[in-house]
Amino acid sequence: MSPPSPDPAGSSGAIAEDLFRRESGRLVAILTGQLGVHRLQLAEDVVQEALVRALQTWPYRGVPDNPAAWLTQTAKHLALDHLRREQRWQDKEPSIASEHERWLAKPHASTGESESFGDETLRMLFVCFHPQLSTEAQTALALRTLCGFSPAEIAAAFLTTEAAISKRLVRARQRIRELAIPFSVPGPDELPTRLDGVLRTLYLLFNEGYKASAGERLVREDLCHEAIRLASLLLPLPATRHPKTHALLALMWLNAARLPGRTNDSGHLLRLQEQDRRLWNVSMIQRGIQHLALSGTGDEVTEYHLEAGIAACHSTSIDNAQTDWGRILFFYDQLLLRSNSPVIALNRAVAVARVRGAAAGLEAIDAISRSQRLEDYHLLHAVRGAFEADLGHHAEALVHFQKAESLATVPAERDFLSRRIQESERALG
Amino acid sequence: MNPQNTTDEYLLLIRGTQWNHGLSPAELQRIMADFYGWVDSLAQKGVHRGAQPLVEEGKLVSGPHGHSVTDGVFAESKEAIAGYFRVAVTTMDEAVRLAQACPILAYGAQIEVRPIADLCRPMAEVKARQHESAIS
Repeated sequence: MSPPSPDPAGSSGAIAEDLFRRESGRLVAILTGQLGVHRLQLAEDVVQEALVRALQTWPYRGVPDNPAAWLTQTAKHLALDHLRREQRWQDKEPSIASEHERWLAKPHASTGESESFGDETLRMLFVCFHPQLSTEAQTALALRTLCGFSPAEIAAAFLTTEAAISKRLVRARQRIRELAIPFSVPGPDELPTRLDGVLRTLYLLFNEGYKASAGERLVREDLCHEAIRLASLLLPLPATRHPKTHALLALMWLNAARLPGRTNDSGHLLRLQEQDRRLWNVSMIQRGIQHLALSGTGDEVTEYHLEAGIAACHSTSIDNAQTDWGRILFFYDQLLLRSNSPVIALNRAVAVARVRGAAAGLEAIDAISRSQRLEDYHLLHAVRGAFEADLGHHAEALVHFQKAESLATVPAERDFLSRRIQESERALG
Repeated sequence: MNPQNTTDEYLLLIRGTQWNHGLSPAELQRIMADFYGWVDSLAQKGVHRGAQPLVEEGKLVSGPHGHSVTDGVFAESKEAIAGYFRVAVTTMDEAVRLAQACPILAYGAQIEVRPIADLCRPMAEVKARQHESAIS
């Protein structure tokens, strides 16, 4: 008596886990390319609406055969509707809709890996990372448009408020309109400096995710992976597939590969020698090494090359004792010649201690603190404490660890330092 | 007493899914995955008999000759029906239990559970009277 059961809505297993985020990035780029960068907000809005429509339809009717194409068509129809309504109100711009109508109305050819996909996102990348936007605006805009993060998610990653991020995004879009930033990859004369700027910002974005840990760990790891993804967008085009692009990707993959081992189950930060290297991601290390090999084709050695070299020494060593610290020290020496950064000098001091002993490490640190204002940097005191402890000077170590703990702000780091304080106290009996 | 009989099917009318547009793509997809988990469970239990979404906007036709055609109260309304699921269960309790398990309730949706009747009420009343007079 009961009717034959129709095919129930297709299983959600048919959808890739990050489909919505990936598609929103792709679609915002495609639509911005067509509508113009001054309509970036419209592009973002219709893409968001298309995702909402999917949620309102798919669970009832089933996932369409080609979800990406469905989203593309829906977003394009919504954009066209908007332009038609706009035209009705503003007769002075009669051509707005007709200008885009043909393109919007035709089924879009690129619904997957087609070439224009890569082109559009790469152009979008150069819009987001335009040098006349601040670094903060650049990263917020890229995470919003290309990575499909909401303002709330960006705020969580940068430990700031949603309102602050929204304001930053509004100002960035406004600035793009005012400057009439072109939706294009810069020409050959401009590209080298523009590429440097993009790589720099991606490097900073990666470090933002990498440097801290603890409560927001997952969100921050996301930043690392988005930085890798954005840098990978530079690979399809020969002009942006530069050896230094590979060098940056190498250092990102090699460092990100070690993230899973950096904390233990209870979220405690672990020292390199305490980490379980089996937790390091082997396939990510392999990708890093591949990029490192590809980065060696030019005649230029950048900071990214050197940092990737250091990361490779750690990632490919079976344990802490086997690590080629001499080679790491060589890379740090090279880095220090390029930039007089106290942070690099401090990291170099660690390598010095590994090669020549803790006493030499302490000397290296003293040399930094004589010349640099690094007294407020908690890691300086933490490293000094570690060297003193290695030398058996537990009273001195205790003082340095206490100083470091008073300066540290990230909970996992404070926690790590209080463990070291306890170790020193135990050693003193 | 209502002389209508229920059939072995119920409609779960989904109301009020005006999704917050501040939700990120990742969050929207998470909600979709949850929602799908529920839809899949209907299919696994063998009770899924069909579903359709409804477009938010519509018309309300009324008056003797349908002279009045208005936009109705559907659009923007939190009570607007967003879609329905038809499920094959035999008791109201079972239908309510299915509705209670729906994860989008957590996002402010409401579910109206209505048994599908064998006859509309006036027809059922006519039939009931005929039946009574036949026995008496």
